[in-house]
Amino acid sequence: MDWHVQIERAGVELGNYLGFLVRRQEVIASNIANADTPGYRSRDVASPADFSLALDEARASAFEVTGLAAHNDGNNVSIDRESRLLAENDLRFNVATQLLRGEFKELREAINEGRAG
Amino acid sequence: MSLFTAISISASGMNAQRVRAELITENLANADTTRTPDGGPYRRKDAIFSTAPLEGSFGSFAEALSSAGLGSYPGVSVSQVTVDETDPEKRYLPGHPDADADGYVAFPHINPAEEMVDLISASRSFQANVAAIGAVKDMIARSIDLLR
Repeated sequence: MDWHVQIERAGVELGNYLGFLVRRQEVIASNIANADTPGYRSRDVASPADFSLALDEARASAFEVTGLAAHNDGNNVSIDRESRLLAENDLRFNVATQLLRGEFKELREAINEGRAG
Repeated sequence: MSLFTAISISASGMNAQRVRAELITENLANADTTRTPDGGPYRRKDAIFSTAPLEGSFGSFAEALSSAGLGSYPGVSVSQVTVDETDPEKRYLPGHPDADADGYVAFPHINPAEEMVDLISASRSFQANVAAIGAVKDMIARSIDLLR
């Protein structure tokens, strides 16, 4: 496989992954905002094996989280769980953008080196 | 679907918690109020939260642009403000201008300790939403860095 195809494919995959992380961030924000809403159940999105599917299907694949202790008002949001996910999502996003930067850097180097020669 | 939607969701949470905190401070301030325009003592108020689709600002704009149209994750809104209708607390204060024929004055049914606990809860929940917005801001900043 040509190197530029590889770079492009990696870029697309990382872009899809970022899209999934954004979707995840929305769910976490929604759970935190509804931490005091009676009857609200925590939601999450499934992590797909193929992130190119993530964009539209992640929302469809949103599911209610099981195994959380519900409060008297039927709400089962755990702020601890959501804070952990918030931090985790932030770090994952960091990794993905750093990798993407690396891809762009490689591409830019290739362009510039070619120009110098 | 965008990071701005996530900000809007957290903003709806901040707004709801602020309304709740306002009602709690109103309750605390009026814990001893025996006269109101409606007559009788002040009555305790409480905010009822419910999930609400995003409206206005970034949320609906982003939704309008998104062709998926699957609907965003819900934010939160104050759907109702309940007024405590239980019988007021009677205190024997003959000579008080608001005393009834038997010398009892109707005082609001407000427990300051309970209100303070609710206030702490509202404040913490507000902070949680602020933290979520902070995280999203970082993510947006890093996305912008990709252009550099």
